[in-house]
Amino acid sequence: MGAWLDYTINGLIVGNIYALLAVGLALIFGVSHLINFAQGSIYTAGAFIGWTCAQRLGTPLPVTMAAVVLGCAALGVVIERVGLRPLAGSARIAPLLATIGISFVLDQGLQLLYSPDPRSLPSPLPAWRIQVGRGTIGALDILIAATGLVSAAVLFGFLRFSRLGWAVRATAQDSEAARQMGVNTDAVNRTVFAIAAGLGGLSGLLVGMYYNHIDTAMSFQATLKGVVAQVIGGMGNVPGAIAGSLLLGLTESYGVALFGSSYRNLFAFVLLLIVLVLRPNGLFAGRQAMSPEPLTGTFIAPSRPWDVPRWAVAVCVLLAALLPFLPNSAYALQVLTNAWLYALLAISLTLVAGTLGQVSLGHAGLLLIGAYASALLALDSGLPVWLSIPAAGFVTAALGTALTWPAFRLRSHYVSIATLGIGEIVGLVILNWESLTHGPMGVTGVPPLTAGTVELDSPQASYWVALAVLVLLGLMQSRLLGTHLGRTFRAIRDDDVAARACGVSLDRYKGLAFAVSGFAAGISGAISAHLYSYINNETFTSQVSVLALTMVILGGMGNVLGAVIGAVALTGLPEVFRFTAEYRQLIYGLVLLLMIRFRPQGILGTA
Amino acid sequence: MSEGGSRGDLLELSGIDTFYGPAQVHFAMNLEVRRGQIVCLLGGNASGKSTTMKVILGLVKPRAGTVRFDGQDITGLSTPAIIARGIGSVPEARRLFGAMTVRENLLMGAYTRRDRAEVNHDYDRMLGLFPRVAQRINNRAGTLSGGEQQMVAMARALMGRPRLICMDEPTMGLSPLYVDRVLELIAAINKEGVSVFMVEQNASLALQIAHHGYVLRTGVIALSGPAGELARDPRIRDAYLGGERTAA
Repeated sequence: MGAWLDYTINGLIVGNIYALLAVGLALIFGVSHLINFAQGSIYTAGAFIGWTCAQRLGTPLPVTMAAVVLGCAALGVVIERVGLRPLAGSARIAPLLATIGISFVLDQGLQLLYSPDPRSLPSPLPAWRIQVGRGTIGALDILIAATGLVSAAVLFGFLRFSRLGWAVRATAQDSEAARQMGVNTDAVNRTVFAIAAGLGGLSGLLVGMYYNHIDTAMSFQATLKGVVAQVIGGMGNVPGAIAGSLLLGLTESYGVALFGSSYRNLFAFVLLLIVLVLRPNGLFAGRQAMSPEPLTGTFIAPSRPWDVPRWAVAVCVLLAALLPFLPNSAYALQVLTNAWLYALLAISLTLVAGTLGQVSLGHAGLLLIGAYASALLALDSGLPVWLSIPAAGFVTAALGTALTWPAFRLRSHYVSIATLGIGEIVGLVILNWESLTHGPMGVTGVPPLTAGTVELDSPQASYWVALAVLVLLGLMQSRLLGTHLGRTFRAIRDDDVAARACGVSLDRYKGLAFAVSGFAAGISGAISAHLYSYINNETFTSQVSVLALTMVILGGMGNVLGAVIGAVALTGLPEVFRFTAEYRQLIYGLVLLLMIRFRPQGILGTA
Repeated sequence: MSEGGSRGDLLELSGIDTFYGPAQVHFAMNLEVRRGQIVCLLGGNASGKSTTMKVILGLVKPRAGTVRFDGQDITGLSTPAIIARGIGSVPEARRLFGAMTVRENLLMGAYTRRDRAEVNHDYDRMLGLFPRVAQRINNRAGTLSGGEQQMVAMARALMGRPRLICMDEPTMGLSPLYVDRVLELIAAINKEGVSVFMVEQNASLALQIAHHGYVLRTGVIALSGPAGELARDPRIRDAYLGGERTAA
């Protein structure tokens, strides 16, 4: 019993920390209908500002906390002004992607500033613990609970009784009407970002002290947890975000109690999916209808694609195929093999994100399924590699479609969140399903590429295999876009209500698109597994999903050739310029930001 | 300044060209609202009426031409700055803050004002002017009927103590009973010295209370004149307003 009380207390404490993240996300979503994917990076920044103050400058805790809140609030204002305000009036997906870009830049900036090594951030509070029933509560627990309560109370008072608070609420309900009352909605946005960032930073500081550990890689998980908590409470619902956070904290804590700590995140994301599917407005929204999402073409910027002549494409393919005959090409081959595999992933993603308009952030999950399917089929079932790879493609198509199926009824942002959750779930299931996947140990000794008795493990052969598969699947997808099926996909993207009114069964076509997409991604993951010879549940993380989306945007959403160009550019250019790995994320982030700002339709244009 | 004042024009649009992307909405449009008058802008669907309202409020920036309010150029100003100069807005479809109470909605109307005591005074005055609103004062605005919402929207706009109040289709979607009530209230507001610029599709109703009218057709002012003359003008009835079929 005592242990359960401890788990409850722990759940509520962690829930309080999530609440500090989620409240800000809810405020921002309420005012500008934007999921701020940079929230986790601000949280990390808060932890490091706190570390600098406490460990370097030796400030007392209240000063440290004030510095974190003010520093992060300033950061929030800068993000709003530089990264997001210029995007007002652009396609709805743009600011969301911009926050992803900003998070890359911030994370990498912190890493360059502080190095990726983890640090300890000891709590300066006394170490006593009070006995409550058979559980215990420490001073830091009380500080975290108090911070959560006080922040919630102050925020409530601000929204309910202050002039600016009223403006925030009015803007959230109808920003154009608020402007007509004389509300400066830019100032409202700035305020909301400052509050969200201040609270998010505080959350990072408290977490750092709670675990006595901070590092620059903790941003993404924090963003995810905040988003999950917010979805549970209902997007844009501030009290809901607090309740959702506590619920999430408790669910995780009990999950850990029952199954062990590797299940913590699995519980979080399964809860996310359940809420998204059953109560997409959150648990506390009552019978309120889902807020109207953009109907026609506003989510993705429309444009006229660049028409690249066929002979030019053919010449490029031929040149690429001849590359291995050049002397001293080993390094280039290695880089380009990787690029072709990423291009496979990108054409897979561009079909669902660009052509179908369902911006998936879970393609890493498809890669993992493909990689594991092929590796396990080859190792444990003894299937020859040339059979296990296509089999993995089909397995991924089937599993991927089945897993995303619950998300088919969702639209725009909700699709992105759901697929992100699904991608994370795939990794976590692989981590925990030890009898099938070998668990955290990963799969070692994955056999190299072969076709019949022909060994294909030389760099040249691997290169040709990847290129040939890419050309084949790319051609098929280009052909598909011109058919009736391709037109139907685009109709669903441009106006799913109108498409449905024309008799299009959305579920069936979405399923078909995800199956085709899953096949290509599965093949890409499978070939990678045989090239790497070792895979584990972290071989492909959500960062890969985001990178793939960056490639797709760079090339032009829905554009097959564009996806290939995007993949080659983002995997090849950092090699050409010999950027160290440290700067790579920074470059990805900046590319994403610049493209969204100045050429949202991508290099070749959306197709 | 004195030039605008001497001619008695509170609002003056001159040579307005507006575009939505490549599509031109207004073609060198001119329009004036004299101090103390009710001016209505009539026209069918897609004639550019609502866009005119948006141009005045700074929600849409014209590519050419100027908007002058009280003799001063307000063309480039932001919407909040324009509101702060003394223009009130009753938007199309009312656009109340549905999750906030009626009281909070009214006080949002006084958002740009800092004179607290006077705001409270005006608040009491609105409750007197709109007894129906007073009854629902603590309800969420979203739960009110269309006619009640229209009253709240008007009271909200008046809370800013505007010199000019802009109304976009104030009778749209209301029951006949409320249509009359709203028209009476507009006339009453005007008697208290507030100039009114209203956009309407229902010409015969609007011309009953207006002093002056304009007819907009595909972005061009096709007719204008005193309301009484326009109401009798056969061209209005036939060409621009669909004749007897839609009248009343």
